[in-house]
Amino acid sequence: MKARASAEDFAEAARRHLDDVHAFLVYLTGDRAVAEDLTAETFTRALERWHRFDPRRGGPRTWLCQLARSTALDHFRSEERRRRRESRYAVAELRERAEPVFGEGLSPALERALAQLSAAEREVIALRIVLELDGEATARVLGISVSACSTRLSRALQKLEKEVSAGVAA
Amino acid sequence: MSPLELVDDRFEQVARELRAGKPTAPAQLRERVESLSPPPARWAPPSLRRLAPAVALSVLAASLGVAAVVGVVHSGSKSGSRVEVFRAARSPAPMTESHGEPVPLPLGQALDEKQRALPHAAGRLQQYDASLTLRVRDTDELSRRTQQAMRVTRTLGGYVASASFDIPGRRGTSALVLRVPIDRVQRALAQFSGYGTLLSQRISVRDLQQRADAQSSRITALRRGIAALERRLEGSLPTNERDRLERLLRIEKRRLVAQQKRLRATVRRAELARVALTLVTPRSKATAAPSRLDRTLDDAGSVLARELQILLYALIVAAPLLVLGGLALVAARTQRSRSDRRLLERS
Repeated sequence: MKARASAEDFAEAARRHLDDVHAFLVYLTGDRAVAEDLTAETFTRALERWHRFDPRRGGPRTWLCQLARSTALDHFRSEERRRRRESRYAVAELRERAEPVFGEGLSPALERALAQLSAAEREVIALRIVLELDGEATARVLGISVSACSTRLSRALQKLEKEVSAGVAA
Repeated sequence: MSPLELVDDRFEQVARELRAGKPTAPAQLRERVESLSPPPARWAPPSLRRLAPAVALSVLAASLGVAAVVGVVHSGSKSGSRVEVFRAARSPAPMTESHGEPVPLPLGQALDEKQRALPHAAGRLQQYDASLTLRVRDTDELSRRTQQAMRVTRTLGGYVASASFDIPGRRGTSALVLRVPIDRVQRALAQFSGYGTLLSQRISVRDLQQRADAQSSRITALRRGIAALERRLEGSLPTNERDRLERLLRIEKRRLVAQQKRLRATVRRAELARVALTLVTPRSKATAAPSRLDRTLDDAGSVLARELQILLYALIVAAPLLVLGGLALVAARTQRSRSDRRLLERS
């Protein structure tokens, strides 16, 4: 009975937080196709580990974002290994991606500015601004303190604004 | 507090635009996620966070269980240390010993005054050792009987070699070591036996006559040898031979003196019997026999204390390894966190 209820809980959590997890991964990876794959991978892992989820230690959205971040880090690590193995051409090809990917209807300047940020900067913006997680939940997802999280957000936003201003001026 | 309230006004417009343009999951992805089915149930090791309290609780329960079982089982057998001490003082059958061979006597026989002590053989040298344990009524009686025993000993021409009088609270004890002329030891033992209830009696008689005879023979031989040497020295002898004989004479005389001392000691030992008289008061009823509950608690407590000792020992031994392991874990996590951060900054 308990296992069935858990499965139902998972289905509900997946339905409610799929957009959030997907958006977070889009910001983190900067690539919609990769984000979709990682989102599916995240929910597969979540389903396998759903019995470990403890609501007392945070909501399902926070837990799913932690899992998504871990999945993305695994992806980045494997990508880095792959890039080391492959030719410089493949790396250059990867960087030549120009299509805006971060949001629906964002201004080109903001898209470009977001592309200029690192994944570390984009993830804190995604969690705090886009997903509107509170400081504590964001800090838990990132594995840092709340004050470090605030500092990181402030710097990311300053850099974003600077990049937006530079893009508009250009 | 809304997260946006933390954002500076300068970023308000950017934040609003970002939220408005939040990417949504495509329908294809939604279908993909909704079609996920639970994986087949398979055994997975429980997480350390859940395992640790369970293991700790199991160990605690096992410890308490062992302590309880030991406590209950041992309490029924009345084999606690206090009881054992009590029985040891009461139960030994009186023993007598003759010529070094201990011979047990039935308690009834020991209480028969006529057979209470082995008489020493008149005309023979014997070492006579007696040990008596008697229970007296109370501490007043203990004190009175102790003084009486000392007085009797002196009256019989003996002396008190040592005396110890102790009333620690539960049970009073008086331990006397008396030296009594051997021809009067029967009278002394007869009197001491009347001081209370006989709890134990041990008498040993060792024949010293043979030893004394041997020592006497040796003395006679030494004297003969000395006389012979002295006769030889009276005549004219070469200087070397005289020196040698004189040296030999001195040695023999020293041997004679030592042998005479030994003989005197043997005779003295045979003159005075050694009597160890122990008087005890009964235990108070409140403390004589602990209840079963007390014994259970005592035993369980001692098992728990032992378990705590073992646990403490294990902790002390394992502590350096645990600390090192913890430090390694923290270092690995920190390193991993830094590595993740760098990876995300590069991406």
